[in-house]
Amino acid sequence: MMTHIERVVNSLQDKPVDRLTTYPIACGVQRRLLSTPTTYAEWASDPKKYAAAFIAGQRAMDYDFAIGLMDLSVCAADYGAGVRMDEQNTPFVVDPVVKSPEDYEKKFANVPDPTKGRSGVIVEGTKIFVDAIGKEVITAGFLEGPLLILTQSAGAEKVFMDMYNHRSAVHKALSDITKFDEVMVDAFSGAKPAGLVWDYLWGSYSCLGDKEYEEFESQYARGLNKRTADKGMAFCIHNCADLPHLDTQVKAFKPAIYSMAWYPLIPGSPSAKETIMKGYSDNCLMAGNIDPQAFVRYSTEKIEKTTINLLQEVKTALCAKGLHSRYVVASGCEVPPALATKLENIKAVVDTTKKYGQVACA
Amino acid sequence: MVAGKKDESIRHAKEALDGGVRALDAIDHGLVKGMTIVGDKYAAHEMFLPQVLLAADAMYGALDVLLPHIPKEESAKRVNVVIGVVEGDVHDIGKNLVKTMFTAGGMTVFDLGRDVPIENFIINTKEKAANVVAMSTLMTPTMDGMKQCVDGLIEAGLRMQVKIIIGGAPTSKEFADDIGADLHGISAQDAVAKVKGAL
Repeated sequence: MMTHIERVVNSLQDKPVDRLTTYPIACGVQRRLLSTPTTYAEWASDPKKYAAAFIAGQRAMDYDFAIGLMDLSVCAADYGAGVRMDEQNTPFVVDPVVKSPEDYEKKFANVPDPTKGRSGVIVEGTKIFVDAIGKEVITAGFLEGPLLILTQSAGAEKVFMDMYNHRSAVHKALSDITKFDEVMVDAFSGAKPAGLVWDYLWGSYSCLGDKEYEEFESQYARGLNKRTADKGMAFCIHNCADLPHLDTQVKAFKPAIYSMAWYPLIPGSPSAKETIMKGYSDNCLMAGNIDPQAFVRYSTEKIEKTTINLLQEVKTALCAKGLHSRYVVASGCEVPPALATKLENIKAVVDTTKKYGQVACA
Repeated sequence: MVAGKKDESIRHAKEALDGGVRALDAIDHGLVKGMTIVGDKYAAHEMFLPQVLLAADAMYGALDVLLPHIPKEESAKRVNVVIGVVEGDVHDIGKNLVKTMFTAGGMTVFDLGRDVPIENFIINTKEKAANVVAMSTLMTPTMDGMKQCVDGLIEAGLRMQVKIIIGGAPTSKEFADDIGADLHGISAQDAVAKVKGAL
């Protein structure tokens, strides 16, 4: 049997593996595995508790990866946005920092200190869990891209309209936030995770076309992607939006790993089979796409069946493309950190992948 | 309006009224048709979210001019929609798109905003004589608020007067059925089509 790290390294190179890799994106929900009752707010504010949850999750679930996703209010909070942090709910911005067009130029001019605030929590927490389990599994930090930080800090609807109404001001903010992301890349590199996952959420055809995406994200992202690799971390992307910009984010950006979601009700949303058959797994370890709601609402038997079906779909497509291992059984979006999420369903996905994840092409 | 030019949209609305065009005709044959074009182009990925939001802003600018000129008896015939993001969630772009398409579909929309307590849905359903209650959320922990709203409408004796539609990334037709909602929308246009089909 391969170790977790051997399995992932082989999958990254599309070499044969004993079974496909798996990582339901279980992050905040793992606070419930800690011996002391821990609220979401406590988990998201204390690097030791943050890290302890990932370590406990690894011990309980035996994943192939540990990826330090917290939530999408981290950087906005450090820019001064008012964040509502309920005890057991994902926090969100309630008081954006941008009130006028001038604020785009003022509010992001100073780069937050990556050792302070919630950015400090996530960097320090990542270092703690990397030190603890980094020799067992592939670890990664998690960071929001500039446009996502801006929309979280200023309000997405406002930013989208101001892309046209106050274009230069939006670019000034994005340019300043990119400097913060550069500092965060450097800070994460000090934690020595194997990779760094970028959340480039707005690369979605439900939101932006190719032209807007190039102007408002890609031109800033390219330097950050390179910096990630230059600092010794595998460059990865997570994008759980519907209709992702796969040609840009997979084929042009060339991440080592790409995590995406599938929305079967939305016309054009690519399934696992379609992403593999269209060549997106040819040079990238693609990850997806069990519905996160399945971890809340399905019975264990039903999520096992769902995982078996996904594995069959993926294995058939990999074999048809002459590939061996370039797919991660994952959850598309984060497993909901809600109290109602069934921890046994997370374990069921991992165990089902272990049992049925062998690829044996005819 | 389709180009998202709010000032011009307002100016044309005023010119229509000054030229003797009935406000309702200006809405139905101008704004509704315009937003239908916007909706079709968005669905075809020929327009994207920024342009849709600007077009919606232009539509609301023109509506502010036109709505006061609709006779009360005409207003009373319109379908009333109460819409909001359920308590505990503030993600409202999807809700705002649905609101825009309901408005463009000729309905009168009462937007309760985001992070809306259950009782506000119920009070407004009664006060606005709503025909439709539309709820959205992007977050799992707040989904149960949708069920509480459905239950609250039943307890208040209002359930039979409304069609209830839900939407948002974590929701599904199965979940809508589970909580006793009538409809599940997967996009703004889908929501309007389903509501119109159900009324």
